[in-house]
Amino acid sequence: MSSSPQQPNPEPGPEPIPEETKEEAKEEVKPEMKEGKNGETEEEKKEEEKEETKVEKEEDKKEESKKEKKDSWKDFIYNPRTGEFMGRTASSWGLILLFYLVFYGFLTAMFCLTMWVMLQTLDENVPRRQDRVANPGLVVRPHAAEISFNRSDLTNYNEYTRQLHELLQRYNDSIQEQNDLCMVGEYTEQDEEPIKKVCQFKRSMLRECSGLSDTSFGFAEGKPCIIIKMNRVIGLKPRGDPYINCTVKRDSPLQMQYFPPEGRLDKMFFPYYGKKTHPDYVQPVVAVQLLLTKEDYNIEQTIECKVEGSDLRNNDDRDKFLGRVIFRVKVSE
Amino acid sequence: MDDLKKEVPITEHKMSVEEVCRKYQTDIVQGLTNAKAAEFLLRDGPNALTPPPTTPEWVKFCRQLFGGFSILLWIGAILCFLAYAIQAATEDDPAGDNLYLGIVLTAVVIITGCFSYFQEAKSSKIMESFKNMVPQQALVIREGEKVQINAEEVVAGDLIEVKGGDRIPADIRVVSAHGCKVDNSSLTGESEPQSRSPDCTHDNPLETRNVAFFSTNCVEGTARGIVICTGDRTVMGRIATLTSGLETGKTPIAKEIEHFIHIITGVAVFLGVTFFILAIILGYSWLEAVIFLIGIIVANVPEGLLATVTVCLTLTAKRMAKKNCLVKNLEAVETLGSTSTICSDKTGTLTQNRMTVAHMWFDNQIHEADTTEDQSGASFDKSSVTWLSLARVAALCNRAQFKAGQDSLPILKRDVAGDASESALLKCIELSCGSVRVMRDKNKKVAEIPFNSTNKYQLSVHETEDPNDNRYLLVMKGAPERILDRCSTILLQGKEQPMDEEMKEAFQNAYMELGGLGERVLGFCHVLLPEDQYPKGFAFDTDDVNFQTDNLCFVGLMSMIDPPRAAVPDAVGKCRSAGIKVIMVTGDHPITAKAIAKGVGIISEGNETVEDIAARLNIPVSQVNPRDAKACVIHGTDLKDLSQEQMDDILRNHTEIVFARTSPQQKLIIVEGCQRLGAIVAVTGDGVNDSPALKKADIGVAMGISGSDVSKQAADMILLDDNFASIVTGVEEGRLIFDNLKKSIAYTLTSNIPEITPFLLFIMVNIPLPLGTITILCIDLGTDMVPAISLAYEAAESDIMKRQPRNPFRDKLVNERLISIAYGQIGMIQALGGFFSYFVILAENGFLPSVLVGIRLDWDDRSVNDLEDSYGQQWTYEQRKIVEFTCHTAFFVSIVVVQWADVIICKTRRNSVFQQGMKNKILIFGLFEETALAAFLSYCPGMDVALRMYPLKPTWWFCAFPYSFLIFVYDEIRKLLIRRNPGGWVEKETYY
Repeated sequence: MSSSPQQPNPEPGPEPIPEETKEEAKEEVKPEMKEGKNGETEEEKKEEEKEETKVEKEEDKKEESKKEKKDSWKDFIYNPRTGEFMGRTASSWGLILLFYLVFYGFLTAMFCLTMWVMLQTLDENVPRRQDRVANPGLVVRPHAAEISFNRSDLTNYNEYTRQLHELLQRYNDSIQEQNDLCMVGEYTEQDEEPIKKVCQFKRSMLRECSGLSDTSFGFAEGKPCIIIKMNRVIGLKPRGDPYINCTVKRDSPLQMQYFPPEGRLDKMFFPYYGKKTHPDYVQPVVAVQLLLTKEDYNIEQTIECKVEGSDLRNNDDRDKFLGRVIFRVKVSE
Repeated sequence: MDDLKKEVPITEHKMSVEEVCRKYQTDIVQGLTNAKAAEFLLRDGPNALTPPPTTPEWVKFCRQLFGGFSILLWIGAILCFLAYAIQAATEDDPAGDNLYLGIVLTAVVIITGCFSYFQEAKSSKIMESFKNMVPQQALVIREGEKVQINAEEVVAGDLIEVKGGDRIPADIRVVSAHGCKVDNSSLTGESEPQSRSPDCTHDNPLETRNVAFFSTNCVEGTARGIVICTGDRTVMGRIATLTSGLETGKTPIAKEIEHFIHIITGVAVFLGVTFFILAIILGYSWLEAVIFLIGIIVANVPEGLLATVTVCLTLTAKRMAKKNCLVKNLEAVETLGSTSTICSDKTGTLTQNRMTVAHMWFDNQIHEADTTEDQSGASFDKSSVTWLSLARVAALCNRAQFKAGQDSLPILKRDVAGDASESALLKCIELSCGSVRVMRDKNKKVAEIPFNSTNKYQLSVHETEDPNDNRYLLVMKGAPERILDRCSTILLQGKEQPMDEEMKEAFQNAYMELGGLGERVLGFCHVLLPEDQYPKGFAFDTDDVNFQTDNLCFVGLMSMIDPPRAAVPDAVGKCRSAGIKVIMVTGDHPITAKAIAKGVGIISEGNETVEDIAARLNIPVSQVNPRDAKACVIHGTDLKDLSQEQMDDILRNHTEIVFARTSPQQKLIIVEGCQRLGAIVAVTGDGVNDSPALKKADIGVAMGISGSDVSKQAADMILLDDNFASIVTGVEEGRLIFDNLKKSIAYTLTSNIPEITPFLLFIMVNIPLPLGTITILCIDLGTDMVPAISLAYEAAESDIMKRQPRNPFRDKLVNERLISIAYGQIGMIQALGGFFSYFVILAENGFLPSVLVGIRLDWDDRSVNDLEDSYGQQWTYEQRKIVEFTCHTAFFVSIVVVQWADVIICKTRRNSVFQQGMKNKILIFGLFEETALAAFLSYCPGMDVALRMYPLKPTWWFCAFPYSFLIFVYDEIRKLLIRRNPGGWVEKETYY
């Protein structure tokens, strides 16, 4: 690096020291050289002297190097001679920190600008891309890896029923009565309306599984209700007549009861128009009551529910929750 | 080891023959008895050099596997396995990322290790082809009988005979000799054959005439001697042992890589610990925090850099091999570039190792002969009659002749039977006057007295060309003063004139001048013998000379030298302008050494030695201030008496140094002296005598053609064409690769930041992971590779041969400024580019940035299959993971896009890209290749399963474009400021 000579070197710390020692060493060597060449008669004396000086020098050097080593560590953290802290003076630290402050400030501003521009291009009602949610997933409630309970112990299944009550809160008849009645079996298309209406889905439609008459959702009897809901997807209009069909993975069939009847997901609940314009929308749910008998107790039942009767995918290899859901139930007495 | 560094302890040369016989229980006539010989053989072992302990192949392989940079990757891999083990022990379903990463890291180290191992194995194979495997024979006298035995069976005390052309089988004390000359060049570097006789002529066993050394060659004559040392105890053996016992330091590039590893580890540990503490504060469990810690440390490891560095070095090594520099050790590629001192041997390296007629003196004028290898130099006036006479004398009084079957070769390349100076004369005459054989046929030789050391002349008597002239022509050559004594006349412009005092003085001046040039001068004279005294058919008796050998006619002088190679002065000049000090270290005489040093510019014009100043000012040497003399010539015997301080003083204060008459041990001391002063030393040499120095040097450069096996083994680099000028190429390539490695590393390190920051934000603000392990590997080992390597092809920004060699203490391969630029500035812009495309994809799919913070726990929960986005839609685990992996792909593509700009800005460190141009075709290819690879990884069907990379919408490719553009503009401005304000703040803080 060629630095201009006018500029004082701001980092004169460790450099001058070796130079000084170098010069000293040179000066010490010089006379020896001359003397050495002068004559041979005095050589013996000279040699003795040389040896002495050598020894002294070596000792000096050792001490110096020890000192230097200690100093270099301390000096690195704080060098009192130059006022350097961690290899930089205060002004040097100030400059570099200021630079990074300005630099990162600029970057942040630029990032915010690009983000703002990008957000401006988005529609606030419909996401730009929906190809990854073309088919909705199915979810069961209660949410658990395995729904396992002792039917005679309330505290045992309390958590499950609490979840169901919570889910069905929005389907309470009192709330749903404010919503509109829609045409059964037809899409409720309202693309043009600024405020979208919501189709009524009364909790009472779920009858035994509504949690109204039997607040234990059949758990107490050992015939638990499981609620299956389909994920909301904006603009989704399933063709055909979608319904939920559940099968148990065992040789003999299991009696099940669907609410609404046949597990239908009525078309009138589609399409969904998004959180912003469709805030009170409730998605249709299907409750399945597993009519377990005493023989089924203490055995883990694996049940798979699928959306059928429509074009919605329910057989994806990768995604086990696309149009279908698998859950396990184990009841004990 | 120190014992070996001392001079040779041979004393037999000072003993009488009888004493030697007694010492070795041998007989001067009968030789050893077979029983004794067998006994000694058993005691001393075979007469062969112990081969240097060869490192077993697996050790070499392991060195490649665990040396230098690989250590970093190994530690990374071990940490990965550790993290995976922790995960496997604590989680039911551990993510395989750490396991894969560990495996990939291991694979990278092993593959690069294999690669460089095979690369080195290849050059060592070339090495082996040099080895000469012909078993040597020796003629020994045992029990009075001459027997030819294998040289390995020669024992101390053996009486042996050698003749011209033999290799001397052991160190021998000569007991009798007939015109024996040995070529000691491989031992001492002296190019002239030296005569051997039974007398002790010098205290130093290396100088005395009565010792001949193992593995030197007997050029002519015969000699008989008693073996005094065999095998490793010979002078040659001691040197070889010394050489193989020397420890060599790390190469400069290895030191640089070590420094780099320190910096990288420092940064990694700093980041890791910082975020470990943050993670603990944020409430992660200890184990999670430890896994994060490991993850961050490993993410800092530039996986692809090891391969990049190896490939870059290999490419340079190949390029150098094409220019006749064979590199034995890959790391040595760069060493020449850092070299600040070259200690060069003279003979064969700087010179052609071939005596050539350089000057002639006739007609009272010095004429210069053409000494160049290709006869491109100026020629002299050949029309003079005196010249014709001189040529005739030189051609006739000459026993050398061309070996048969070389008519198609150029004259200078032909092999000659005969000693060096006669060959030189032969070639000179053949070149200027046509066939010497024809001339000799025309002038039939009738009598001859060969050269001997008492007469110091050689003469022959010939018939004349003219069949009508029955006179005999006597021609003589020899030591000029002896020739002059025999002359009474001198030939001037073809006319014989009496030799007066004036002419004698002219002769003296010419002789002094030519001698002062370090040349070997021969005088020539002739006479036409009067017909009346020597009629046709006169019987010339050469033993009892019965004819006139004085009152001759002096014809002229011819002087010979081993001339410097044509390319050397230029190369030395280039080295000097590149700030490299060239020191000549030779076994040859000071005068010759100085003359050659002046000839090649090692002592540049106008620079004087202490002795020169003393001579000029006419004062004693002791009164001259040594500081005034920039140049100096130091004799080996003086060197012996110098203390370390004096040695340092000489090396420090003289810029142009010639060491003459140095022993191998002294060469080693000189190299150590230079290294002590902080210089990075290159040593060139060809002889065994150079090998300790070659080994000790930071880079030893041996000669491929003339070099001895020992020297080649000790060297790191071999000049296949024996040409010193190739070193300049090596320096240039070395410096270029150092610069370009900086650029490569700057480029590769930059993408570390966009690779680490996603993970950091993932931990800190709980967003879905923006960039996964697989995609990081795709960058490091995929898209980044070709552009990083292509930077090795980048042309130099300025004339790298015009600047000083780098200071190994200050100019580091990777310094804090490079880290500051790569990590703090460009890397940050890149990270923002990546994050921008990440946010774009999530937002376009319905997850606006506002919902992302803190979403991670649900996002990564497999059982949550109805995660709600900003629009109220619900996502299954798999659906949102596809979006996440699409984000990884987009982040990856964004890094590729910003790396376009990065590779373009890394092309230069100071110049603008517009000044530098885009001439690097490999780099352009690299740009297309990385883009194509990114597109392939994103769009190829099946990638979603194989690498979990998903097709991107075309618009997503453009997300990072503004950032790419910003990188380019930012760096151009930075470099503009560096150029505008040299030494300014920007340069001090950002010029790497």
